[in-house]
Amino acid sequence: MANATKGLFIACDIPMAQFIVNLNASKPPSQKFIIHVLDDTHLLVQPDSGGTIRAAISEFRDKNSYEKPA
Amino acid sequence: MSHHGGYGDKGRPPKKYKAAAAKDDDDDGYYGNEAGGRGDDDYGDGEKEVKKRDFTKLELKPDHINRPLWACADGRIFLETFSPLYKQAYDFLIAIAEPVCRPESMHEYNLTPHSLYAAVSVGLETETIIAVLNKLSKTKLPKEMIDFIHESTANYGKVKLVLKKNKYFIESPFPEVLKKLLKDEVIGRARIQSENEHGHDGFTKSKTAGEIGGSHDGLLNEAELAAAAEDKETHSFQIDPSQVENVKQRCLPNALNYPMLEEYDFRNDPVNPDINMELKPHAQPRPYQEKSLSKMFGNGRARSGIIVLPCGAGKSLVGVSAASRIRKSCLCLATNAVSVDQWHFQFRLWSTIPDEQICRFTSDSKERLQGNAGVVVTTYNMVAFGGKRSEESEKIIEEIRNREWGLLLMDEVHVVPAHMFRKVISLTKSHCKLGLTATLVREDERITDLNFLIGPKLYEANWLDLVKGGFIANVQCAEVWCPMTKEFFAEYLRRENSKRKQALYVMNPNKFRACEFLIRFHEQQRGDKIIVFADNLFALVEYAMKLRKPMIYGATSHAERTKILQAFKTSKDVNTIFLSKVGDNSIDIPEANVIIQISSHAGSRRQEAQRLGRILRAKGKLEDRMAGGKEEYNAFFYSLVSTDTQEMYYSTKRQQFLIDQGYSFKVITSLPPPDSGAELSYHSQDEQLALLRKVLTAKDDMVGLEQLEEDADDIALHKARRFAGSMSHMSGANGMVYMEYSTGRKLPPGSKPKPKDPNKRHNLFRKRYG
Amino acid sequence: MPQVRIIAKNFMDMVAALPAMKLDILYENPFICEAILRSLPPLAKKYVTQMLFSEGSITAKLLEEWVLPDGSTKHRVSIDRLVQLRIFTESVESGRKKEKSYRLNPTFQANLQKRITTGGVLPREPMPPSLTGRLPSLEELEKYALEQWECFLLHLINSGQAEKVTSFSPSMMRVFQRGLLSQSKDPKLTESGFQFLLMETNAQLWYIIREYISNSEERGVDPVDLISFLLELSFHMTGKAYNLNTLTDVQRSTLSDLADLGLVKLQKGRNDSWFIPTKLATNLSVSLADSSTRKQGSIVVETNFRVYEYSASKLHSEILRLFSRVEYHLPNLIVAAITKENLYGAFENGITADQIVSFLQQNAHPRVAQRTPSVPENVTDQIRLWETDLNRVEMSPAHLYDDFHSREVFEAACDLAREWSGLLWEDSDKMRVVVKAEIHQNMRDFIRGQRQ
Repeated sequence: MANATKGLFIACDIPMAQFIVNLNASKPPSQKFIIHVLDDTHLLVQPDSGGTIRAAISEFRDKNSYEKPA
Repeated sequence: MSHHGGYGDKGRPPKKYKAAAAKDDDDDGYYGNEAGGRGDDDYGDGEKEVKKRDFTKLELKPDHINRPLWACADGRIFLETFSPLYKQAYDFLIAIAEPVCRPESMHEYNLTPHSLYAAVSVGLETETIIAVLNKLSKTKLPKEMIDFIHESTANYGKVKLVLKKNKYFIESPFPEVLKKLLKDEVIGRARIQSENEHGHDGFTKSKTAGEIGGSHDGLLNEAELAAAAEDKETHSFQIDPSQVENVKQRCLPNALNYPMLEEYDFRNDPVNPDINMELKPHAQPRPYQEKSLSKMFGNGRARSGIIVLPCGAGKSLVGVSAASRIRKSCLCLATNAVSVDQWHFQFRLWSTIPDEQICRFTSDSKERLQGNAGVVVTTYNMVAFGGKRSEESEKIIEEIRNREWGLLLMDEVHVVPAHMFRKVISLTKSHCKLGLTATLVREDERITDLNFLIGPKLYEANWLDLVKGGFIANVQCAEVWCPMTKEFFAEYLRRENSKRKQALYVMNPNKFRACEFLIRFHEQQRGDKIIVFADNLFALVEYAMKLRKPMIYGATSHAERTKILQAFKTSKDVNTIFLSKVGDNSIDIPEANVIIQISSHAGSRRQEAQRLGRILRAKGKLEDRMAGGKEEYNAFFYSLVSTDTQEMYYSTKRQQFLIDQGYSFKVITSLPPPDSGAELSYHSQDEQLALLRKVLTAKDDMVGLEQLEEDADDIALHKARRFAGSMSHMSGANGMVYMEYSTGRKLPPGSKPKPKDPNKRHNLFRKRYG
Repeated sequence: MPQVRIIAKNFMDMVAALPAMKLDILYENPFICEAILRSLPPLAKKYVTQMLFSEGSITAKLLEEWVLPDGSTKHRVSIDRLVQLRIFTESVESGRKKEKSYRLNPTFQANLQKRITTGGVLPREPMPPSLTGRLPSLEELEKYALEQWECFLLHLINSGQAEKVTSFSPSMMRVFQRGLLSQSKDPKLTESGFQFLLMETNAQLWYIIREYISNSEERGVDPVDLISFLLELSFHMTGKAYNLNTLTDVQRSTLSDLADLGLVKLQKGRNDSWFIPTKLATNLSVSLADSSTRKQGSIVVETNFRVYEYSASKLHSEILRLFSRVEYHLPNLIVAAITKENLYGAFENGITADQIVSFLQQNAHPRVAQRTPSVPENVTDQIRLWETDLNRVEMSPAHLYDDFHSREVFEAACDLAREWSGLLWEDSDKMRVVVKAEIHQNMRDFIRGQRQ
């Protein structure tokens, strides 16, 4: 008999997967959200963690990009 | 303060930009006090919100299509480059306004107090500026702009400091202004009453030649032209030579606000002997070089100021031409010893100066000037040095201090800090100062200093026009995106590695492979000569060793540098060299046509431009290089960037200056090609992990930037200091890579391998060489 | 220009969809008959003109003989159209051969004959200048029409930049905005809305008129009357004045809406009021394909991401604002900068990088249009790269299955997931599979079934 786990499936590139893994590692145990690291580019995370992850990614992206002031 | 349009500080002395300036930790410049760019980062606390500037109410002239520009009330000017009047409009605008961006079709300029000061000092008068601007404008000129021009030019250019027959005169066409100045206590006291003064105000009256060869003739009607060319009656009084600096100070905008222009009537200077030098017949200045010179010598005298030409566009010919016109003693200041050699060479290449009348003064060559006039080439450091000198040096310095120089020729004025300028200028007496630079960073304190210490900007060439004319190379710029490997990125993200972030993104194996791929491609497929730039010393050494290429950095001796550069120039086997930031300035490497940048100085726009400048010297036949010629691109500039890291931020920021000059960076996302494998380094994960361990275990101070004291790499002077601090680990590695490399191959003729002293080697090398 | 999916391309599609009764009423008007004739495909036009003056019917067979062998598709399309519009009535012979034949709709035929032979009379004549005084020149009128239209579009996209108020009721505006703006508290332009703005004026106009007609019954207006009036209007002369007292009340109130769209200009004299049709009105019945001569482009994009549009239009500025930061407005130039922030805003509203790039390319100013590429490559690349960057991480609600008790079950489960297009990831070594949440139920049922 098979076992089923509900979650949010994430498909991305290698650096983004590392970013998410690192984000997870930085959280206190109660807030960890990764259920399984499936491989280098696929993860299964808690169903409600999508928003947090997206917000963290966009903050990270903003930090790394220069916008010429008006 | 609005920084959106021009105007800025409305003629007030620029105030300190609080902490906002240089907030970008290690941004821009070796001196840390440079605010960077056109100040667009320096107003962090200013208006964040972009206000739409609505100037739709300006009245379009019926024939607006035939006119090339729009002028806005806030000082911004837009210029169509496809207008038949473009050339004239450009020459005019560059004289009165600061360029904001100059890409292909539309230029933007800002009218600022500084730019108008420059305009006035090259002989443009308030009414001429307004009249020409109005002729070129598609709309009626906004009243605000007209008022601003009046307001800004009210005081500028009204007063000149003239050194005539070795006497200093304050000169002005406006006697009332002179009276105002004399009311000042300092100036009043400095005045020397002379016998031949007449008139009720006691001023000397004389005629000055009007502006000749003005480039705006076509835009003015005859009456206006006649007015401009008319001899001007001027009034003057003499001042005490020992009070010149004080008088100048009193005239600055923060005091009386009549900044003085300095002009040198060299034809009427019987005191200082002439040098028998002129340009050789083969020295044919190009049109933009002529234009620069005409701005400098527009009224028959020599004006002090700054000429801005891209690297490779022939700044030295302009300098030598200026010296040859003035034909008086000339002190030429460069940033380092290599550059001194180059100026020395240029003088003899372009002019007929007798060998005995030109000499070099560096720590290595202390030549004495023979005769009563001549050219001395030295470095800023040599003149400004405050420490103890050898007896020999002391003598030369005395001579430099005591001589009255016709021309003070200053190279790379953008890299020299203000305090050094002050020192150099106060130590040397000169009639005329000419500053040369490729990248004038604008609107910061530095520029203010330059404006008042040297003089206003006299001319600035447009990069794209020079590219189109085939005068500088047409460079294909590319930003190569290198994804971080999984392991490097994981370490990069760890908080504990915050100090190693740079080392991690520079040493990213994917970047290394991209670099190796590009070197191979350009060496083998195109037969190009390549410079690889790395500010990060750890990376410089790792890359150069692994790829077995010679390298030059701060600690490399002058002799060693010369040898490596010679090999790069002449040997078929040495086609790639690695340079740290010592190569940013002045190391002249005309052979190179490819630059690969693997690490750089944070967000420094100037460094990016300087590095590009290393390959701007046009090669091949002129007709091939002209627009539509055979070779579309003959030079390549690659910036290798690890994606998802801070380097992306810096990379974009660094490009801004070049982008504003019309350059564009093509993003390349697939280098090396996916099918490349073990032929490039760090193919296996084991190798990558070994490299990672190396980066992680290197000492903290090894993985940062190379720390150079001051910029100028005058090794001789600062050798001791340079070996101190973070460089201690590297001492002895000096030139080692090249040596190791070169012993296996043919050495350039005349060069001898330096004996290796194992005791001097760093651990890193000891392991390797046992 | 990308064609918008949501749009019925043709006025006549709408006419054809009317019930038979209503069509017959329309054909009472000779002008409408001509408008319909003009809108037909060329072959259909030929059939109608050939048969116009002949009585009786013509057999399908005979008709087919007029067509060249390779024209059979066109032939069928034409016949279908004519039947749809009830211009042709089809009859099948009761005899043995059951032969099909067609004849012209008699009302249509009579009125079209009338229109062609006598010219027909519009319900109203232009007013003499003695009554109206000087009327606006054609140029002034065109300027007025475009201003009205632009003002309407500004209202439509809720920009707050419109200078005049609109007479359309808020509910009517909401109907127009349907599909163009998002249905949120702060409505934003949708992907279709963006496409709409990028269409040329006649296509936009038709989209709005269509919505206007579809909604007419809710306003208590018979759509047939409205269509008929609009068609009739297209036969008025541009720039002439027509007295308002020749109109019904319904037509008069319609006219004030049309004035808002710039189709007519309303004026008042001492004693009379009149309307002046603009080109927008007279072009209405012209098929879109004919009128879609593309406007000259006006946009210059530089390598430094600056955008210069030679335009005074607030609407253009609003369009630029969808994906760039507008910095300067000059009398005939808009200056903007494409920034990441603005592009991200556009992407979030469903506007794609490709749409933006093709908008910039298709509106390239003649100065840059000939050069290739007309928009600098580094800019188009960067716009696309930014879009890609936003989509680097894909997330989908899912279920992970592991601990399969046999490889057969695992593989069968994977096959099933694939069949349902719900397979997201599989690892056959460890026998793990991730499927979309939608098919979780099916998977569970399947696996339970396997157990038994």
